[in-house]
Amino acid sequence: MADYFSMFIKYLPRLLGGLRMTILIAIFGLLIAVILGVFLCILSISGKKVLVKIANFYITIIRGTPLMILALFLYFGVIKDSLPLVMSASLILGLNASAFMAEIFRAGIQAIDYGQMEAARSLGLSYGQTMRKIILPQAFKIMIPSLMNQFISSIKDTAILSAISVNELTMVAKTIIARNFKAFEIYSYAAIIYIVVITALTFLSKYVERRLAYDKR
Amino acid sequence: MSDSIISVEHLHKVFGELEVLKDISFTVAPGEVVCVIGPSGSGKSTLLRCLNKLETTQGGEITVLGQKLHEVKNINAYRENIGMVFQHFNLFPNYTVKENVTLAPVMLKKMTKAEAEKKAHELLELVGLDSKADVYPVTLSGGQKQRVAIARALAMNPKIMLFDEPTSALDPEMVGEVLDVMKKLASEGMTMVVVTHEMGFAREVANRVIFMEDGYIVEENTPEEMFKNPKSERCRKFLSSVL
Repeated sequence: MADYFSMFIKYLPRLLGGLRMTILIAIFGLLIAVILGVFLCILSISGKKVLVKIANFYITIIRGTPLMILALFLYFGVIKDSLPLVMSASLILGLNASAFMAEIFRAGIQAIDYGQMEAARSLGLSYGQTMRKIILPQAFKIMIPSLMNQFISSIKDTAILSAISVNELTMVAKTIIARNFKAFEIYSYAAIIYIVVITALTFLSKYVERRLAYDKR
Repeated sequence: MSDSIISVEHLHKVFGELEVLKDISFTVAPGEVVCVIGPSGSGKSTLLRCLNKLETTQGGEITVLGQKLHEVKNINAYRENIGMVFQHFNLFPNYTVKENVTLAPVMLKKMTKAEAEKKAHELLELVGLDSKADVYPVTLSGGQKQRVAIARALAMNPKIMLFDEPTSALDPEMVGEVLDVMKKLASEGMTMVVVTHEMGFAREVANRVIFMEDGYIVEENTPEEMFKNPKSERCRKFLSSVL
């Protein structure tokens, strides 16, 4: 047992180095995913047939492809050496998550009773003003749990990007194990670090949800 | 009629295959209270919603405050003159009662924030809910919500108020408090078009009652005449079943 802890202390700096990369990729990836997701969501709720079809096509392709295939295909088949590895990894993660984000945004907006739109429009507010002040704030509140799920999934999905040799947490763990063969210890350390990060994020999400709780009596 | 504030001529409206409004013509004079009654599915609510273009129409002409609706360029400005109250209140749950009332006038730069808040307190006083100014709508009863919705619509200083079955979603004991506010409004000279099932209100407050069925205006008369001796068989049947 003492060995287990001392080994943890010994490898912690290297694992945290991997975590830093994991977080970097997750942040940039999710940023890309949110921007693309908003754009796709606008297409899906535009009501214009062509635009809706384009969004649906993209979402179908991305959602139907395993992240591993997407990563290998894009990195080795398309991007190759044209982008730095970190950017490639963020882009791959972002493209993957964007399809799910778009659906979360769309579902959140469409969950708001249409009467809200009618009430605001009948007061003289424009479509944009209504969206900004009435629909989106309510939709955002509904979206938080699903968004948080997607954030968590994406953070964990960075592990898959070790397939393209990004030096994130899982890759670092693999590298260490290749030297010392301590699979049980090192993978469990990596798991603990993931759990800590994701639990912290969960607390943050609960906090935000509480702050927006206007419909609690 | 040139002195009418609302004039509808040969209005025609379809939902896909369904002809909801077949040939509707009527006018409303300034300060008049017109109640629209009739069985479900007769097109009453649709007619009301056409007046501020929540529904598109397929034929005929609507003129409000001298503006022909199909020539209106800025529908948002057009709607500012027409307050609407919905069956399901549609208060904004993410804003307090006061914010619900001040939101539109401030956002559309009709008033400064301070003016809008002063006005909001006056209006909430009018509907008897100034004590609830700072709570969120979720804590209100149905009747209270509807009174706030009326205050919200009035905040834009509309020339016309449209009521779409304002008491139909309320518990019976809360209907009175909403109707009282509407009576007050009528007595202050507001032009009102009210789609309602409250025959008592129609009889007491309306200047004119319109009976609709199956996409047509079947009968139009003063409440005394309409309720005492309806001319058409269909109207007589309807009234005898609801009174």
